[in-house]
Amino acid sequence: MGNINKYWKGLEELNNDPKFVANKKNEFAQGIPLEEVLTDSDGEMQSNRRDFLKYFGFSISAVALAACNNTPVKNAIPYIIKPENITPGIPNWYATTCGACSTGCSILVKTREGRPVKIEGNAESPVFKGGVCATGHASLLGLYDNERLRLPRKDNNESTWATVDTEITQALASSKNIRIVSGTNTSPSTKKIIAEFTAKYPSTKVVGYEAISYAALIEANKRAFGKAVVPSFNFEKAKVIVSFGADFLGTWISPVEFTKGWSKNRKAEDKKMSRHMHFESNLSITGSNADYRFPIKPSMEGAVLLSIYNKIATATGAPTFSIPTIEIALNSIDLTAKELLAAKGESLVISGSNNIDNQLLVASINSLLGNIGTTIDLDNYSNQVSGDDAGFEAFVNEMESGAIDTVLFYNTNPAYSYYNADKFKQALKKVKTTITTNSSTDETGELCKYQTPDNHYLESWNDSEPKLGYFGLTQPTITNVFTTRQVQESLLKWAGNNSDVYTYIKSNWEANILMAGETAWNKALHDGFFIASPKVASTMSATALSNDIANKATVNYTTNLKNTELKLYTKVGLGDGTHANNPWLQELPDPISKACWDNYLTIGKVTADQFNLKQGDVVTLKAGKTTIEGLPILIQPGQANSTIGLAMGYGKLKGKVASNFGKGLGKNAFGLVSFENNTFSYNASNGITLTKTDDGYELPLTQTHQTIEGRNLLREASLNEYIKNPSAGNNEHAHIISLWEEHDSKGHKWGMAIDMNACTGCGSCVVSCSAENNVPVVGRKEILNSREMHWIRIDRYYSFKNLATGKPSTKEKEYDNKDNNIDFEHVTVMHQPMMCQHCGHAPCETVCPVLATVHSSEGLNQMTYNRCVGTRYCANNCPYKVRRFNWFKYRENDDFDFHFNNDLGRMVINPDVTVRSRGVMEKCSFCVQRIQASKLKAKIENRKMVDGDVKTACQQSCPADALIFGDMNDATSEISKLFKNERKYVLLEEYNVQPSVGYMTKIRNVDESIAGEQKAPVKHEEKHEEKHEAHSNDSHAHS
Amino acid sequence: MKLNKLLFLLAAFFLGAKLTMADVAEGEKLFNANCTSCHAINDKVVGPALKDVDKRQSEAWLIKWIQNSQAVIKSGDEYANKLYKEYNQSAMTAFPQLKDDQVKSILAYIKTGGAATTVENGTPTATAKTEDGFYSQGMQIGLLIFAVILLIIIFILTKIRKVVGKIHDEKYPEEADEIKIHWKQNKKSTRFKLFVKHPVVGTLAVGALLTVVLGLYGYDYGQTKVGVQKGYAPVQPINYSHELHAGKYKINCQYCHSSADKGKQASIPSASTCMNCHTYVKAKAKYNGKVSPEIQKIYNAVGYDAQNGTYIAGFKQQPIKWVRIHNLPDHAYFNHAQHVKIGKVECQACHGPIETMKVVSQQRSLQMGWCINCHREAKVDVANNDYYEKLHKDLKASNKDFITVAQNGGLECAKCHY
Repeated sequence: MGNINKYWKGLEELNNDPKFVANKKNEFAQGIPLEEVLTDSDGEMQSNRRDFLKYFGFSISAVALAACNNTPVKNAIPYIIKPENITPGIPNWYATTCGACSTGCSILVKTREGRPVKIEGNAESPVFKGGVCATGHASLLGLYDNERLRLPRKDNNESTWATVDTEITQALASSKNIRIVSGTNTSPSTKKIIAEFTAKYPSTKVVGYEAISYAALIEANKRAFGKAVVPSFNFEKAKVIVSFGADFLGTWISPVEFTKGWSKNRKAEDKKMSRHMHFESNLSITGSNADYRFPIKPSMEGAVLLSIYNKIATATGAPTFSIPTIEIALNSIDLTAKELLAAKGESLVISGSNNIDNQLLVASINSLLGNIGTTIDLDNYSNQVSGDDAGFEAFVNEMESGAIDTVLFYNTNPAYSYYNADKFKQALKKVKTTITTNSSTDETGELCKYQTPDNHYLESWNDSEPKLGYFGLTQPTITNVFTTRQVQESLLKWAGNNSDVYTYIKSNWEANILMAGETAWNKALHDGFFIASPKVASTMSATALSNDIANKATVNYTTNLKNTELKLYTKVGLGDGTHANNPWLQELPDPISKACWDNYLTIGKVTADQFNLKQGDVVTLKAGKTTIEGLPILIQPGQANSTIGLAMGYGKLKGKVASNFGKGLGKNAFGLVSFENNTFSYNASNGITLTKTDDGYELPLTQTHQTIEGRNLLREASLNEYIKNPSAGNNEHAHIISLWEEHDSKGHKWGMAIDMNACTGCGSCVVSCSAENNVPVVGRKEILNSREMHWIRIDRYYSFKNLATGKPSTKEKEYDNKDNNIDFEHVTVMHQPMMCQHCGHAPCETVCPVLATVHSSEGLNQMTYNRCVGTRYCANNCPYKVRRFNWFKYRENDDFDFHFNNDLGRMVINPDVTVRSRGVMEKCSFCVQRIQASKLKAKIENRKMVDGDVKTACQQSCPADALIFGDMNDATSEISKLFKNERKYVLLEEYNVQPSVGYMTKIRNVDESIAGEQKAPVKHEEKHEEKHEAHSNDSHAHS
Repeated sequence: MKLNKLLFLLAAFFLGAKLTMADVAEGEKLFNANCTSCHAINDKVVGPALKDVDKRQSEAWLIKWIQNSQAVIKSGDEYANKLYKEYNQSAMTAFPQLKDDQVKSILAYIKTGGAATTVENGTPTATAKTEDGFYSQGMQIGLLIFAVILLIIIFILTKIRKVVGKIHDEKYPEEADEIKIHWKQNKKSTRFKLFVKHPVVGTLAVGALLTVVLGLYGYDYGQTKVGVQKGYAPVQPINYSHELHAGKYKINCQYCHSSADKGKQASIPSASTCMNCHTYVKAKAKYNGKVSPEIQKIYNAVGYDAQNGTYIAGFKQQPIKWVRIHNLPDHAYFNHAQHVKIGKVECQACHGPIETMKVVSQQRSLQMGWCINCHREAKVDVANNDYYEKLHKDLKASNKDFITVAQNGGLECAKCHY
């Protein structure tokens, strides 16, 4: 008896949805798209005799033309003066700072022949430790966005820099009230430049505006501790983590940094793990990785926080407040308070709410627990996020009154992301001179008189100070693609300072940051960052809470008890919509819902039943004054009952990809944001109505494209079980019969271990892989046809509890749709990265009629595109469903008008990897180009290869270090050690396909039993006998 | 020439210099690697011709000069300063890395007058077939001519037979009739029997035969002609001669194709590399005191004023658009460093006798079969690279002398296709 949980990929599978059942029987969702190819322009779906002759005739003439055998002339154009550091064919790496968001992760940029082709983490950075998120990877493609402005624009017509400079300087000189509306700006030099600008034009004021605001967190820290800052959170020091809707592994403040810290305390081998508790409404990836997750409505947050505060206050002798008993499932409040009290000074309570009261409660709890100065550092604070919601409100009103004559927008797009966009647009009309520096024409840019496009950050000189004392440098990795100019240079120029940004930053650093000369500067530039000596984190206690806060929390809870509530969220990858025009991010499936190219209303099963809604229905959502029509419904397990969730960042009007070529992509949810108690509120509790329409809508979901047929692919155990028995949850091994001869790998034998305990499902690897391996973007329609091309996918599985028994559902019991005993609110989630398993006895290899996929002596399952004739037998025979077929030529094809369809976008292509053509199969290659390059490097350096020489693209970018790649023939390598670990198992072991990818059993730090009753610990030497035993007992995985 | 060499060798012998063949070979290698970019033995290039250099100065002086010419000039040496002035005050590159013995071997090599004494050091690990096809081009033309001659002979013989037959018929008309009848019967019975009796089968049979023949031809055509550019010798923007540079002046290949041992591409030299020599070498002697029009093209690209010997300020430089000769399909990955540095394959193995080519042409088919053949024959140099330490140990343990590239996985798809 092993793992008793049953796992589901989605409700479609759970309910045996007819479409899902039909799909799972078909390997390929649809037949060969011949009709599509042959369709006439008038849309007639027929191919007739004439068409046949037409195409036949073409093929004859094509053959005839080919037979002419004219050698196409290819030029080889060398440099005139070869730059010293560039050797054609050898990449150059530059350390810089990611500019995808304001978090400012230290990254390395790989350039080939002067063009950036890949972003990777800078492992030397002590803060970010070599991780990069999906957005960071994808920001590379932003450089090659065909819609970036090529020249400055005036009144939406192309202009020249000389013209706009003259006019803007004149306008500035005559302005009486200048405002710079800026997103989070962590750059010390830019701040200095703005100060210089302000000195020249003294009426200048900077207004901070962030679409996703952290104003409440800053304000609460100001009120509680007298410090208006976002603190640094040390997850690696926290033994107990309690989060209230703060998606710190996905979207909150600095996800890469937090994931690195969080996963450090999640190593089962240490026999101790942090305990992570999570209260939230929508199921986020952080919630999905928590040990205990408690679904709550947004309006309950204050009350729950206060209840926990009371318990802690009682224990520590602080004043308490009265609060009604909270109806919340399980003993969540008691448990949380108990755990927190047991880890005083080593716990961490955080909230993602933008409500000052809630943040004050959080501050007080942390203060009582003595966490300030240990896990929370207010002295070495973070600059990564900001927000001045009241300030921006005041600014809009000021604009409306006509008092402002010049506005400059830097890194913001309020016409899209401000909740009252109409008011903003009207007010903007009253401003005489409007300037935006955004690099493409967005919703705000369209309304501005001047568009003075900023460089992409990969073309810029810049600096950053994401955390106090941690300075990052941004250096250009390519010369300007278009005639754009850095904001910094523009501001300097308009302020009458003609020095270039490089000199400016360098002298600023030498004078104020490094306090040293050229050598220190060169070192900082080489490293990409500089660390000033940190301050000592001081212990602080919060000012006492007022009764008012307790009252408000109670009222908020009691008045909304019966209401359906809305919680807005941002998706991993797409964020606030700044990168909505990035096809890599649009195609990245949401880590939880596995939907791409859309936003939708997430709703729990129970609530959906109340509203008589099912997946694919379309509703009209009304919240207060705002109405959004045509929202599709997605039934989301784990969603708190009586709540609905909606992602921001969609529904853009500008950008080909972001707006789905003008047809619209998702709905803009920013209109549902409200301004309450001096901050933007991202949830709504009152007056939410859902009206079902007659329309239907199919969401592009990737997860239900394959089925696991109830096989035992997921293994987990609790920490206690693991400590007692290291193979807990993983003692079920198959009886193996071999039909094939074993392969002989004398040199290297490559393999990968995936730590299910570490993987958070963030999707960084997916985008990294797409960039490294030239994986095409297929678009929404093709995803619906189950034709996504990602070489690595992250499978997400739910397991449900039975309400009657309170235990996880068992294999023996099948559910039907009417079973009311399933607890849809309390689900546990597992994320499982899945790519080609590089089987020793690969089923794909035996069925290929043309030997296009064969085994290598290094244990790789090789895919040879130029041999493949596209029978797709291999995909049919692959038990892991990791093979991808090129149904179309995805490049130079107007039907797939993404980056592969224009010269600029194609610059992102990795020159070491073939761009596949139509009709061939492809799949994960274990980054064979990197293996080959590393081998060659070792040979040139006349040395043996060492562990860590080869890092696959997915491994390199993983913020949680969940993927480990290496040589299994090297006994000292990390992978060899991991493969001997008791937690290791392979998927579908019973097939004996001998995968080279091993998975490590997930260990959760919960008190309950997960693995179930265990047999005596099984040692690996005894595995064989055990297998027989297991077989005869019929407690076998095949059931 | 031969006499010259002999005289040199004899002279060297009588002078009692320690001149072993190894020294000369070593010297040749060093000479090619370090000196050829500026010097030739018999001609004045950037620097003076080096023939009889040992007669002009003492060995000790030369060693000092080669290791650090500037120091010699500064020391006030008369000859050195004279040279310096003569060559427009352009200093000779210092070679502090060359040891005394190495300089001596270079000098020894110069003494031989540039006669190649040994092949490149190291065992050439790869020997590619010089010919890919079964017949060479000359052979093919020969065969064609032979076939035409045969046809003419057949034609003449038939004519003669006809004429003789006619004469015979005129002489013996009765016999002729008999033969004619016999022929007609014969024709009907054998030649067209198939068609007459089974017209469908006959047509099909002929059709099948034609299909097989044409199909085979097409297959052969596709295999050996389509996409195969053997012999491709495009006209280049500059009439650059490898024969002159690599053959006559023996400039090391990697002086220009500098990344051949470093990375994927051997790389075409930048115009600035050309200018290293051609700032001085203008071949004026050949063109009545004017700059050679081909060299002028480099100047036009980089904006160099040959009259004043200066670069033109603000000149918009134009890259030289060389035509690529050796093209591999995009799905084939080839890395020069792997072959040049690790495999120690000579350039000529794939590019043919490049040092004899006035115009470079593609000498090999560059088809996969051709690659594979070499991989089957070439041995992995396991002894001299620590990367192969384990493999080398295993080989020794199993008493094998060598392992071929193919045996080491060199035929696997993902070695070149990914």
